[in-house]
Formats: sequence, C-alpha cells, structure tokens
Amino acid sequence: MTPPPLLLGAGLLFWGWQTGFLLVALPLAVLIEAARALTWRLELSGTDFHRVTDLCTLLIAVSGVYLFSTTGTARAAGGPRAMTLLFQWFPLLLFPLIASQVYSTAGKVPLTAFFWGLRRQAARDPDARPVPVDLRYVYFSLCILSASAANRRTLEFYAGLCALAGWGLWSWRSRRFSPLWWAPLLVVAAVAGYGGHIVLHRLQQAVEQTAFEYIFSIVNRDADPFRATTAIGHLGSLKFSDRTVLRVEPREGLRVPFLLREASYDVYNSPVWVASGASFAAVQPDADGETWKFAVGRSPGERVTVSAYLNRGRGVLALPGGAFEIDRLAVVGVRRNRLGAVKVEEGLGLITYTALFAADGPLDGPPIDADLLVPPREAAIISRIASELNLASRSPSEKLEAVEAYFSQNFRYSIWKGERPRRHTELEEFFLRSRSGHCEYFATATVLLLRAAGVPARYAVGFSVQEWSRLEQRWIVRARHAHAWALAYVDGAWRDVDTTPAVWADAERDEASILEPLRDLWSWGGFLFSRWRWSEGGGVGEYAAWLLIPLVLLLVWRLYSRRRVGRGAGETTGSLAFAPRPGHDSEFYLIERRLDAAGRGRRPAEPASAWIERIHATELRPIVALHYRYRFDPAGLAASEREALRTSAEAWLGEHPVALIAPDPIVLELRR
Amino acid sequence: MRRLLYRWFSSFSAFQHRLDRRFTRAGSLALGVLGAAAVIGLDTNRTVGYQVLTLVLALLLISAASSLVFRGRFSARRVLPRFASVGVPLTYRVAIANETGRRQEGLVLLEELADPRPSFEEFVTAREPGEERRNWFDRKVGYPRWAWLVSQKRGAVVAPRPLPSLAPAGETEVGVEITPLRRGYVRFTGLTIARPDPLGLVHALKTIRLPQSLLVLPKRYSMPAILLGGRRTYQPGGVALASSVGDSEEFVALRDYRAGDPMRRIHWKSWARVGRPVVREYQDEFFVRHALVLDTFTGRDGDLAFEDAVSVAASIAVSVETQESLLDLMFVGPEAYCVTAGRGVGHTDRLLEVLACVGPCRDKPFRALHRAVMERHTSLSGCVCVLLAWDEPRQEFVRHLEALGTPTRVFVVGARGALDALPGDIDGLEVGRIGEGLARR
Repeated sequence: MTPPPLLLGAGLLFWGWQTGFLLVALPLAVLIEAARALTWRLELSGTDFHRVTDLCTLLIAVSGVYLFSTTGTARAAGGPRAMTLLFQWFPLLLFPLIASQVYSTAGKVPLTAFFWGLRRQAARDPDARPVPVDLRYVYFSLCILSASAANRRTLEFYAGLCALAGWGLWSWRSRRFSPLWWAPLLVVAAVAGYGGHIVLHRLQQAVEQTAFEYIFSIVNRDADPFRATTAIGHLGSLKFSDRTVLRVEPREGLRVPFLLREASYDVYNSPVWVASGASFAAVQPDADGETWKFAVGRSPGERVTVSAYLNRGRGVLALPGGAFEIDRLAVVGVRRNRLGAVKVEEGLGLITYTALFAADGPLDGPPIDADLLVPPREAAIISRIASELNLASRSPSEKLEAVEAYFSQNFRYSIWKGERPRRHTELEEFFLRSRSGHCEYFATATVLLLRAAGVPARYAVGFSVQEWSRLEQRWIVRARHAHAWALAYVDGAWRDVDTTPAVWADAERDEASILEPLRDLWSWGGFLFSRWRWSEGGGVGEYAAWLLIPLVLLLVWRLYSRRRVGRGAGETTGSLAFAPRPGHDSEFYLIERRLDAAGRGRRPAEPASAWIERIHATELRPIVALHYRYRFDPAGLAASEREALRTSAEAWLGEHPVALIAPDPIVLELRR
Repeated sequence: MRRLLYRWFSSFSAFQHRLDRRFTRAGSLALGVLGAAAVIGLDTNRTVGYQVLTLVLALLLISAASSLVFRGRFSARRVLPRFASVGVPLTYRVAIANETGRRQEGLVLLEELADPRPSFEEFVTAREPGEERRNWFDRKVGYPRWAWLVSQKRGAVVAPRPLPSLAPAGETEVGVEITPLRRGYVRFTGLTIARPDPLGLVHALKTIRLPQSLLVLPKRYSMPAILLGGRRTYQPGGVALASSVGDSEEFVALRDYRAGDPMRRIHWKSWARVGRPVVREYQDEFFVRHALVLDTFTGRDGDLAFEDAVSVAASIAVSVETQESLLDLMFVGPEAYCVTAGRGVGHTDRLLEVLACVGPCRDKPFRALHRAVMERHTSLSGCVCVLLAWDEPRQEFVRHLEALGTPTRVFVVGARGALDALPGDIDGLEVGRIGEGLARR
C-alpha cells in the first residue's frame, strides 16, 4: 500500500529533529516527497538495485568502523556507544536505497538486493522473477526507531511518535468501522503505551539497583570501597576466575609478590569489613590533566605502571601501599578516601597509569580509634591468643614479627572448608581447631591480633602480583590473585603485613583451568586491541583516518569496476545493434527470398527447418543444417563447409527459378 | 537431531501460517517494529526505543482484543475450472453469501489450502534442487529444503481477495486468482473470511469448510513438428478396439457372395431378404500409431530433470495431431501403464491428466519400461522417447527399437554436463532451458 502523502518526509524530519540532523533531513524529505510531483523515473534494473544496496552496505561498514574507533572519548564522557550512533545514522546511510526505489520505474526493490544467496539463485535461473519489496513503510519505521536512539527523553518524542503512528495507520484502518471507533482506540493505545513505558523504565531501574549491582559486586569483588564481604564461614571450595584483570609493566627492583591495594576497611562485623567515615573527596589534577598528586613536594620514590579495565568508565584503582602520585591517568575525576581507596570516574575502557610510592606515602590517613577496635564477639579468643603470644610486652616491630611467626609456624593455607562450627565463632574455629583457611581468615585474624596488641591495623584487599607472562613479557594479575592482608601502623607509617602462607599462590595456581593458555591468548589480543583503541593523544582518530583511506579506495574501485563492466556491456549492446549478425551473408536467405517470391514464403516465427518440411522442400535439409551452424554455432563453419553452403545454395537457385516453383495451393486459391 | 529439527520447522511453519492469517500487512510490519524496538529499547537508559515498544505493543494488544468478537455467518461456493497449468495464473469464481441480517463490509477472502508440511520421511529423503550447492550449515540443518518442500506441497499461491460489501442476506461473487506452482492436485480445504480490526492490524477469522481440488497440468512448451518416418500399421479391431485386445475387424459394407468367401461372413438375414447370398465385408484398419515413452526412473521426488521430462512429454502429447493418428503414452509407475489418445479413442486431455499425476518410479529397473514397449511394438509406427539419462539400459532400448525398424526420436533431459556425450541423432535438453532447447530443434 502506498504511504499517505508527506508521511515519509514527516518521518525523516522527525528523525532529523530528534537526532540533531534536521539540516540533513530537510533536503532528504523534500527529495523523497518530490517523487510524487515529478513524473520522470529511472529505468533501474535488478543489478542497479544490487549496486545501490552494496553501496549502502559499504557506507554502513565504513561508518561503523569510523564510529567504533572515534567514539571512545564521547562514550567515556557519558555519550552514546558507537552502535547507537551508527543506528542513528541509518536513515541517512540507507537513503540511496529508498531514493532509488521511489525514483525507479519499477517502484519496488527486488528481494535479491538483500541476500547473496538469492542473487546467486537468480544468476542461475535468469527466468525467475525476484520478489519485489516495497521499502517505504519499512524506511518510515526505521526513521522512527533511529530517532528513538537519540535518547531525547521529552514528551515531544512520544507525542510525535503517536502522531506519526496515527498518520501511518490511518490509511490501513478498516473501512468497516467509523473513524469514531478508530480515534478512541488510538488514544487508548497511546495512553496505555505511555503508562507502559514509564512502568518499563522504572522496572529496569529497580532491577538495576538490585540484581545488577549484586552481579556487579560478584564479578568485581572487593571493588566496593565501603564494604567488603569476606568468605569467612563459606563452606566448600572457593573458586576464582583465570581472567586477567591487571597488567603490571616490568621494571628493575620489583619484588614479587608485590601487593596492589584497592581498598582498606576498619570495622569488622563478621563476616563483613566496613569502611567507616570513608567519604570520598575529589583530587585536583595538575595542569596536564593526567597527573594526580596526593601530597605536594615529595621526592621521587619507586614507581610501578599498571593497566586495568574500567567498567563504564568507573572503577577503583589498584595502587601500591604508600602511593603519593599517579601519572598518565587519563580520567575526568579522581576521588580518594581516608582509608586509601582511590576511585576514578569517566575514564576510557582501559587505563594505564604509573603510581609513585614510598614507604611513608600519604595515601592512608592516620589511625583513629576504630583502627584499634576488636569486635566483642571475637574479643575473648583474640585476647587469649594475644596473651599466649605475650604481645603486650613487645615493641610494635616485635609484635609484627611475633604475629607473622605465629601464623607461619602454626597455620596452613586452605580454600576448602567442610563444615560449619556449632559452638564457636568462625575465628575461634580458625584459631583453635582448623588452623587453616584462606587469606581472608589470615588477614582478619592478623588485624584483630595486632589491634589487641595495641597496634592500629586495617584490613586491606587488592591483588598480589606474582605471575610473569612469557607471552606478554609483563606481570599479569588474574582474578584468582585477589588477596587480603593486614595494614599495621608502625613507626608513623602504614605497612603491609601479609601473614597468609606463601603457598597460597601455588594452591590457587593448581585450580587453574587447562584452557588457561587459550584464554590468555584471547585476553592478550583483547588487551592489545583495547590499548590501540583507547590510546591517547588522538591516535585513534588518526588510525581511523588511515583506516578510512583503504575503505574509500575499495568503494571507488568497486564502483569504478562495476561502471566499467556496465559500460562494456553497453558497448556490446551497441555493437549488437549495429554490427552485422553472424551468418547475415548466408546464401540461404537468397533461397528464402526466392521461395517467398514464389508464394511459398516462411511464416513469421517459423523455424527454417519446420518451414522446408512444410513446403516439402526436403532437398534443402543439408543447406539448412549448414545455414544453422553458420548462423548460430559459436565455432562457425570451416572454410570448406562455408564453400559447400555457398555452392549448394547457388546450385539450388540455379535449378529453381521462380517460375518453376509450384506456388502454395492456398496462395493459388487466394490469387484466384 | 533431525527429528527435533523437523519438529521445530513444523511448529515454526504452523506458527508462521497462523501469523500470516491473523495479522494484516500493517500488523506484520508492526510486529517487526515491535521486535526491532525490543532490541533497541532493551536498555531503557540508553535509548527511548522502549517507548516505541510499548506504544506498538499497546496497539497490537488493543487490535487483538477487538478482533475477538466477529459475529459473521457466511456460506460459500467455489467454482473451479477443470484444469490449470503450472505457472499460469488463473482466476476462478467464489460466491459468498452473507447469512446475517447486517451489512458486512471490509472483509477479505483467504483460501485455505491443505496442510503443506511434509512428513518426516519426506523431509529426510527429499533433496532440494541445487541443494548440493548450498553451504554446509544449510545442508545439515535443512531449512531451505523444508521451505522448498512446503512450497511444493502447497502447490499454489492464492492472493487474499478483498470482498465487496455484502448486503444483509445477500450474495456476491468474486474472482480469485491462483498461481499453480507444480503439477498435480491442489487441494483446498476451506475458505476463511477475515475481518480487520478498526486499527487494521489484526484479523478476526471465520473459516468455512469447503474441500475441493484442482488438477494442475504440467508446463508445456511450443514444440517443433516431430517428423517420424515409418508407415501405417495394421490395427487389429480398428479404431474402436485399437487400444484394447482382440482380433475383430472394422465392418464396411455388405456385398454379394463371391466364390471363396468364408462361410462365417455370410449375412443370413440379408440372404433371406434379397434371395441371394450376401456377405459382410470387413476392412483391415491401417493407420499411424505413435508411442510416447516417458522415462520415470529417477531416484527422488522433485527432481528437476524429471519434472522437465514430464513437461516435454506433455508438450509432445499436445503437439501430435491425434485426429489422424493414435498416441500411446507409456511409462512405468507402480506398474506399466499405456494410455491411448487419438481418433476418438481418448482425448489429449486424458494424457495430460495422467502426466499431471505421474510420479517417479524407484522400485523397478528401466528394463520394465523396455519390456512394456516391446510388447506393443508391432502396432507402433514410431516412437518418441523422453529419457532422463543416456546410460547402457537406455541405449540398449533405443538400439532394440531401431533394430526392429521402428522410427525413433529420442529426447534426453539432463544437466548440461550429462548431455555433452550424446550422439548427434539424440536430442539433448538442458534442465531449466527446455523451451530454448526445443526451439533449436
């Protein structure tokens, strides 16, 4: 069915209004609606439509590559994704196709234009007529959907949507019913749709706030700087992923295992560690926008360069203890809290930063009372162990050594826990019975013991850098290298105290999947691609521009080669029209004229062989056979055969003057 | 796995059929927009596609609700022609009577054809023409084959026909166009009267049971004259019995007895009437009788070569002038068949009817046809063979005919490569280019 006048134009204008391409949409709308007024049309063949479709496909591919490689910064700043932008461009990119339809004599596009399989089929069977498709309503729908991708949350969008839907549906309405039926139903649908979309949006928000954050917290465990739920008390075996989460560039003097902390916590309420009073404050960058200092005027300390992925441009940085400066961190905002957690906002998908650190770095705030608090539930066992170790009488450094020695000599590492204690707390079970556990047991026990001994301590989570990748030639940190340890405030500075037996890394490695090398290869490929994609200094745009050149050349080549083929075909057609046909000089035509003159001529569309049989001129059979070959055989006639055709035809002509040929009895009858 | 795929395809086809019936074209477009909007609006924070989704969903739901009530009662009568031809659109009449007391407007007539879904065995054994050129996935999964089988078994395309206004208790007659897609019977099961809802998206349906069938004749091509040598042959029993068994002869006249006439030819009643011996005079019938031999020995259904061979046979059958000669159509199906037409014995239509329904023979060798033809060769003036290959059994068959002095014309239908090695006196016809091939003869 033909869309009502101006509907397509209105759809295009609506699209242009919503996406900000109004100046583009206006001429397109005029062009497409002008087809109603103009009478001239293009004689487009199926092949022409194929070319137009190919052109549109190429335009989409080129635009996709361009957008994919250049929208990084926009996306980081909360802008749309490349795919969404590409979808917004669709009405423009597909305009050649709809224009070719409305300005063609056929008025429809063959279905073969959209499927290679159908094109091949059509090539095999030239007689088959391809199914014609009218794209106008589809294009109109596409304009509306592309307009929706602009994400303009205004009432005007919905009002425009309803108006266009009503306009489009008007011509489809059933004539059986009065418009007084049609209009109220449309209004009811519009109201129901309005209520429905509000409900749908709120539903998604509710789902996001619960399920998504829950999943997010599982996937990115320990990334919440306010709260860390430990697996203390968890039954069964702990499983961690092989996924590579951080990459640390090699440098001289890096001692492994090297701890990179994401957050620390000060209040324990089994099994949860919480950061109290840990609100975040913004950090101001230096003039270059990529250097973030936590203290001014510090001498250069050690440095480590880390690459990490961000989720939706946000994340918590993994930093070494005592970090005082971060260089080359391309994000819009950095915030830190007093417990040493550093959040970044509006960054690219992959960030690579260099952290400068020193033993007395200012990342962590000074200790407060909470750093000495032992929860009442665990106080009995902690004070008992502390007194057994005689910690009270030792100096802070000796206390650390005593605690480390106590755990290394009496405890072993395990990620398996078989049963839940019935009369003890989890820590009592750990200290008195099992004497085995994973890093969270060790870290929590260490923190509480140190606190009981009067040393301010915090629970820290992050990653342990310990695996060298020969493939990547750098240190890689997997999700299973997530670790927990204690921070102790000794001699005016926070020190990492890791009492987990060193075998933990081996135990985790044993859990690795046999597919790990393949995953590593995939992960490395992804990392290289991301680094190229998110590289700094407009490199992406530069690459994209270079990438566009071969694509544009490809486009030009394709168009040119096709045009050349087309022109060649045209020349052939022209030559066919004017050049003599093969076999045009056959002497058989003389015989034909002779017989025609005698009233025994050939009927229209009668094959020569059938004709000579009809007039019983069987002596002409060999001449006709030679004539056929001369006329139609691509190989033509040999010289001797050509001569035979000539001589036999001349001989027949000599023997059969017009007067001697008996006329057709019917002709005779008519002459009478 | 194949059974699972079969069930999926079967369910999908049924679902698609219901969708086609239930939704108007605007409704189908709305469904498409609904799907696209669901994808685009999946994240309600990122686009406002979900607003399109809810509006279209509301429109469809309201349309579906308003199509629940349709108080129409109709009766119908379909007037089908005797035959149709493959690929030739045909218009037939359908009379619809409104059996309610109110005027019925804006209705659409939809024809219901028999369920075209193939059986599992058909799905597994059939091969779509050109299937070997499809990619691995299509060959393994077999959806293109399924779609082809469904279209073949449906047999025809019938366009929806908008109905004019139906007066209360009135009747109207409309022409419905059908385009047959294959030879054989197209079976109708009923008619559906569809009423679009006020928004024009969803149909309310009333189905009337009206089983009928239409015979679709094979495609026919323009044939050049087939000139077979040979002579008239003695036909025992004359024209009337030319196609049956027996040795009676054609009565010509009565004449006076001559010495030597057999006693059994004396016509006693005439002798009694005229007073002298009178005998019955008989004339032996000599006329041209050709055999049209169709090779049905192909491995599978839907073989394009076989279909083209049937079309060639049909073209020959209609081109032979049967006023002056007889034409025996001979082929082997479940048994050997011989159908005769010409000189008033049978009409060419009968041959076409038989050809419309002929199927491939899988359980017998070519030898069966060879034997069947040889049993009748004495009465044959000439023989036109439409063969599917040029292998040893077929060559032997043709050699045998020639050795018996029966003028023979042979057409071999096959793919281009299979025709290259044919001798010069055998006509090769390339599959898919039969018309072109025949025009060159």
